[in-house]
Parts: sequence; structure tokens; C-alpha cells
Amino acid sequence: MVQVNTTKLFLRFKFVKRGSLQYISHLDLVRTMHKVIVRAKLPLWYTEGFNPKPKMIFAAPLSIGTESECEYMDLRMSEYIEPAEAMARINANMTDEMQVIEAYYPDSKFTDLKWMSYRITVGDVNTSDDLADRCNELLLEEQVEVQKKNSDQMINIRPLISSAVAKRVENEIVIDAVLSADPSAFLNPEYVVKYLRDKGGLLSSPDLTSEYYEVKRLNAYFADMTEFR
Amino acid sequence: MQNKNISSVLKSVSKPGRYIGGEFNSIIKNKDEVKCRFAFCFPDTYEIGMSNLGVRILYDALNKDSDVWCERVYAPWTDMKEKMEQYSIPLSAVESGDSLDCFDLVAFSLQYEMCYTTTLAMLKLAGFPIWAKDRAEDCPIIVGGGPCVYNSEPVAEFFDLINIGEGEEVLLEICHLYNKMKADGTYTRAAFLREASHIDGVYIPSLYEVSYNDDGTIKEYKPLYDDVPTKIKKRIIEDMDKASYPEKLVMPYIETVHDRIVLEVYRGCIRGCRFCQAGMVYRPIREKSVETLCKQAKCLYDNSGYDEISLISLSISDYSELPRLTDSLLEWTDASHVSLSLPSLRIDSFSEELMAKVSSVRTGGITFAPEAGTQRLRDVINKNVSEEDLMRSVGIAFRGGKSNVKLYFMNGLPTETDEDIEGISALAKKVVDQYYAMPKPQRPKGLGVTVSVSCFVPKPFTPFQWEKQDTYEELMRKQALLKSCITDRRIKYAYHDAKVSFIEAVLARGDRRLAPAIAYLADKGQMFDAWDEFFNYDLWIEAFEKCGVDPAFYTSRGFGLDEVLPWDIIDIGVTKSFLLRERNKAYEGKTTPSCAEQCSGCGANKLGGKNRWCK
Repeated sequence: MVQVNTTKLFLRFKFVKRGSLQYISHLDLVRTMHKVIVRAKLPLWYTEGFNPKPKMIFAAPLSIGTESECEYMDLRMSEYIEPAEAMARINANMTDEMQVIEAYYPDSKFTDLKWMSYRITVGDVNTSDDLADRCNELLLEEQVEVQKKNSDQMINIRPLISSAVAKRVENEIVIDAVLSADPSAFLNPEYVVKYLRDKGGLLSSPDLTSEYYEVKRLNAYFADMTEFR
Repeated sequence: MQNKNISSVLKSVSKPGRYIGGEFNSIIKNKDEVKCRFAFCFPDTYEIGMSNLGVRILYDALNKDSDVWCERVYAPWTDMKEKMEQYSIPLSAVESGDSLDCFDLVAFSLQYEMCYTTTLAMLKLAGFPIWAKDRAEDCPIIVGGGPCVYNSEPVAEFFDLINIGEGEEVLLEICHLYNKMKADGTYTRAAFLREASHIDGVYIPSLYEVSYNDDGTIKEYKPLYDDVPTKIKKRIIEDMDKASYPEKLVMPYIETVHDRIVLEVYRGCIRGCRFCQAGMVYRPIREKSVETLCKQAKCLYDNSGYDEISLISLSISDYSELPRLTDSLLEWTDASHVSLSLPSLRIDSFSEELMAKVSSVRTGGITFAPEAGTQRLRDVINKNVSEEDLMRSVGIAFRGGKSNVKLYFMNGLPTETDEDIEGISALAKKVVDQYYAMPKPQRPKGLGVTVSVSCFVPKPFTPFQWEKQDTYEELMRKQALLKSCITDRRIKYAYHDAKVSFIEAVLARGDRRLAPAIAYLADKGQMFDAWDEFFNYDLWIEAFEKCGVDPAFYTSRGFGLDEVLPWDIIDIGVTKSFLLRERNKAYEGKTTPSCAEQCSGCGANKLGGKNRWCK
């Protein structure tokens, strides 16, 4: 029998967000999930007061344009439900591109989640063979400076990169990166793409239809780099 | 399910979630197993189109037929349109991602006149000729429908087929005819359209010849063949309890305008406001039973997870069993954290009890529509509400904790004088006084009174269909007069752009001679006229000039009572003689009782329909 804290019973769902759902913002994901859990008829705990709402907590919001194999939602329950049962009900109420792959009563908190790994794939790059090497050199520099969004300020993101390795696979450049997911120092993988675009000449073609890049979140880790759970 | 071409540009457009499809409850069929592919186009953005009840109903009704696959198409925002043009990406349906040339029928829902340019922009993005006469044999049949087609003449020549009236049944009949003729080898574009013209509620514009008098008025509408009807009778659903209604809603991922369950309570309206087109064209009134509504509400909740149910109709408090309906719904909605909203409350039937039922969850504002500032003018338009009704209703709203009251009015109504305009300001002031007459501890905090004023647009099939519209200058003068009357800082004054109302009036009562002007705008890349930021008055005027159209002919001229009207070939049930009677009573300042009190013989009862009021 699983020991659960019945005063605040949170059930954790690890889910994927794939394909076209990368274009759904975090806010829209929250609204969508709210309806999913109501349809799934889970024993939801509701906030007190004038406008009762279920308690949903999400880890590390995903930006638009990023797919994920590793999203987390904690949902407060009013009573115990078998995780497998809750997972099945939720999955029956979502489409193939968004599915729960694990459900459990957690011991950890989302603040314990410190790192996340991503795969960035840049397709149909120009033919220069040393582009992957160039990216690796750039990523290893001591100052990895990017311009902050909506600001003139330059920031060094090097301390927020645990590792980042680029390699060439046929006509694609594949970059595997482990980036900070600490809420106080969260690094959006878009910054890595932007850095390599500005400095390394990635994604320099003006034709959107011949060039593409994909970003996928793969996994989450504790501070000691063991898998988050 | 996105189109490969579309997906390559999604990272570089705003709100890409508009284009992805794949929503929960959206319907995917095997395209090799269906006989008829139907594209349902909404000539506005995804967020607006997804909120439309008519589209939801028809999408469901068409897809219930296993031979038909109905998919949705929305207008791309301007940034996406640019990309589509730049990379030759054709307009596609959200379900399959297929371009529109893969479809058999492509239908447009025309909800407001200002969507006409967007409709043409979508035809262009699909690669179709905009004029029906230019379409090749293999081009899909382009269908029009929705409230605007009660006078579709300005856009009639862009459509192959127009559906007049409610579409649940007739659209399927059209699909079945199409399937039959394709199967037995008799299908040609011309043969199909000719055959379709025999279906009630189907108007084939190309089968009529229009001639004009020397003074520019219409001489005659003449069917080209004897078997083509001289008048097209509006279709209605006779029994709303048996009518098709969705059990599941397509669940948008992104936020839409009306992101909630919309429960249609009844069609038609027992009132007869003389400016209101909906109140006439949706007659006769047909109610759903409380049992049907409760079943539909519960089913939609279970399949959607929405936390709000909106009970809609033209005037919800006129539903004959509203207390029993709300009580039945409240039996489970409160416990499920679902709130009820009633968006069309009338001032004369607003009660404390009703307010308690709908405001259990949400606070905020409440809207009333006195429409005119004096009793005299309210009698002219047959609004049948009094100042006492309004004061009683706002009193209830204030006591119930609502501190924001919005009041809707219209400028430019027939017989309006400056006194009526001053009356708007006086009425708003009395609402403020009503608030301060309450003992301080009982007042909700933060009083806000908004006076929202639109401009009168004479609409076809209303008692005011012949009326003059005030000129732009006169409407501006009236807006300025009202502004000078409102001196109280607690009253906020919001008004519509009179230029938009002017163009709306041209299109609403226009005829086929406007089509080249609309095509001219589409050629200039104009779309989204319903959006303030894209409405381009000067371009409209330029288009009228280039195409030899005098807009005043359709607005400030007024129409002669014996004139052939562009919409005379449509039979909505309500007779022209009734409309004329109502017009005369308006000028006498006489009101007409509602259908619930007394039948006034409008003529809509001849359409049939199961209802409580008609004889």
C-alpha cells in the first residue's frame, strides 16, 4: 500500500506534448487541461470561496514551438484514486498528441527540478561540413552571450548550460543540450538556437519552406543529475 | 493533421494554434469512404468561427451522415495570408489539411455584411474564381448561407447556390442530390444547380435575370426557366425537440470568443421590435422542451468539461418555462461548479429570482437594451419597455452586487429628434441617481454606467426596411449632441463608427450592382472589414466610384413602398403587408403586442412549426 499524505493529496502526471500541440501556449494548455480533468471525472479537490477551481500545478512552462516528452502536472485530489485509473481516464479525454505516460503520488516538489534536456534539430542547413564543429566551439566558449528578449541587455547563458553537443546527421544538425530549469534561472532553448544563428550562421536561409528547426524537451533532472521523479 | 505547407510557416506567424486542428471531438473520417466532402468556411478568424453556434450545429448535422465528411475552414490572419501568398500555400481545411479543391461543396456562413471581402479573399486563397460564372466544371460548388442571405444580392453572383433559412435538413438534401447525380452519371454543374433549385430553401442566383428601371430601381426578377421558382421559401426546422443538436463540441485548444456550452433554447422571437431583422426572419417561434434542454445540457457538459452554460435565444426571459428550466439545471450545475449565463435579458422581465440563479458564480456587469431615450421613440420601434422597467431592473442589479451597468441605444431611428437623444443622457443619469438613492452600505462598490450607442441600419425584412438612413454628417451631429449632453463623469459614452454603419447599410439593402465594387476591394487584398484596424472607408468609397455605384441610393434615399426590393424573391413567411402595417403603426406611435399576448398575423405560421403561440 502506497503511503499518501491525505491532507494534501497531489497526484502527478507526466505527459507528452507532441506534433502540432507545440503551438499551444502554456496558458492554453492550462485551460485545455482544466476541461480534460473535468471530462475525466476525477475526484478533484476544489478551492474554497466564491469561484472554486481545481488545484493544478505545472512544472517548467514550455514555450510555443517546443515539443515535449516530459511535461509534469500535479493535481490535487479530494480522495485517493489509483494512478493507473486516473491516467487511463485522462488519456481517453485527450488526443494522440497529448498523452499521460506516467502517473504517481510524488515525494518531490517541482522546485527540486533543476535541469532539463532538449534536442534541437536544424534541418536543410547549408552544406558547410564544419558547421557542427563550429557550433560546438561556440557552445564551449566562456561567454555565451545572447540578447535578452524585449531588451537590449546581453546576458551570459554559459552557467545555465550543463552540456551542449552538436553533431551532423545527414543534412541536419542535431544539438543535445541540458539546460537550467531552475525557476529562478530558467533557460529557454530558443536562446541557444538564437545564439547559434547569430554567431554560427545556422538558419540563415530566408526561405521558410526549405529550412526548419525543431526543439524537443526530452527529460528532467534533480540537482545531482538523477532523473526527476 | 496539419498541411505540410502550413506547418513550415507556423513558427513565423502569430497565434499558430489557430491553424493546427486536431481538437478533441473534431471529426476525422476516411476520405475514401465518404461520397461527399463538405468544407464549412467561416469568413473570419478561428476564434470567432469556433464560437458560432450555427457552425457547431451544422458541422454536427452533416457529419452524422456517414456519406458526408464536413470539415472546417477559417480565414487566415493577415500575417498567415501573406505567407500563404508568398509560398503559394492554398487555403486548407483544419481536419484533413487538404486544400479546398479536394472538396465537393464549399460553403460559407455569412454572419454579417462586413465579412464579404473576407469571403472573397478566402475564395482567392483557395484558388477559385470569385465569380460563379467563371468556375470550371471541376470546381467545387460554392454555397452561401447564414443570416446575411435574406438579402444575398450584393454577393449572389459569387455563389453557385444559396441556402435560405435553417440549414440542418436542406444542406443534407443538397449533399444527397449531389451524391445521387454523381453516382448515376447525370451530374454536370448546370444540371445539378438546376435540379437543386427545386429544393425548398435553395436559391440559385444564376437562374434569375434582373432588370432595372430608368430611375435605378429594380424592374423585375425573372427566372430563366419555367421550372425555377419565382420566390424562394425559407426553410425552417419544424420541431426543435427532434432537430439535430450536437452531443459533443469540438474543443478548441486556444481561447475562443465564446468558449463555453451554448444551449439554444428556442428560435424566433415573440417581440416585434421594428428595427430587428432577427426578430422577423427567424419566425415562427419554436421552443425546445425543458426535458430536451436538460438532456442536451448534461450531455454537452459530460463531453466538454466546460464550466459555463449559456442559455441563448433572441430574448431568453421570453422562454415560456424559464423558471422550470433554470431550476432543473441548477439541480446539478452548482454541485459541478458550472455557472449559468443568460445573455439576452429583457428589462421588463428581469427579476431578483432570475438574478440569484445566474450570478451565483460570477460578478461584474449587466447589460440592458432600452434602444431609445424616450417612451415616444421606444413605442415607435415597438420596444415595449418603460423607464419604470429599467429603473426596477437596475435596482435589482445594484442590490444583487452588480455595479457596472451597460445600456444599449441606437441613433438615427426613424422619427428621432434631438429630444430623443437628450433622453438617452437623461435616462443614464437616472440610473446613476438610482444607485445613489440606495443606502450607502447596500451599494456595490465602483459604479460604472456605460451608454453604448450604435447607428440605425435599415435591414431587409423589417418594418423599417424602406426607411432612410441618416447621412453620415447627421449621425456625427447626433453623436456630438449626445456627447455634449452627458456631463456626468460616472457615465461612459461609447459609440459606433458611423462610417461602418453606412457601408453596412449599403450592403444590407444592396442589389447585384454592388458585386463589382466588392470584387474591386477583394482585388486590392482587402479583408477583415469587421475588424476596426482593417476597415477601410476610403477604399470602399473608391470602389463605389470605380464601379459606378452611388451609395446614397441604398442609404439616405430610402426605398419606395411600391418599389421592387432586391430581397422580394425571398419568402421568409412574414408577409410584406404585415411589415407595411407595422411601419404605419410606427409612424402613428402605436405598439403591437407580443405573440404571447395576441397574434398580429405576421404570416410566419404558414411555414408550419411546432410552437405554443401561432394559430
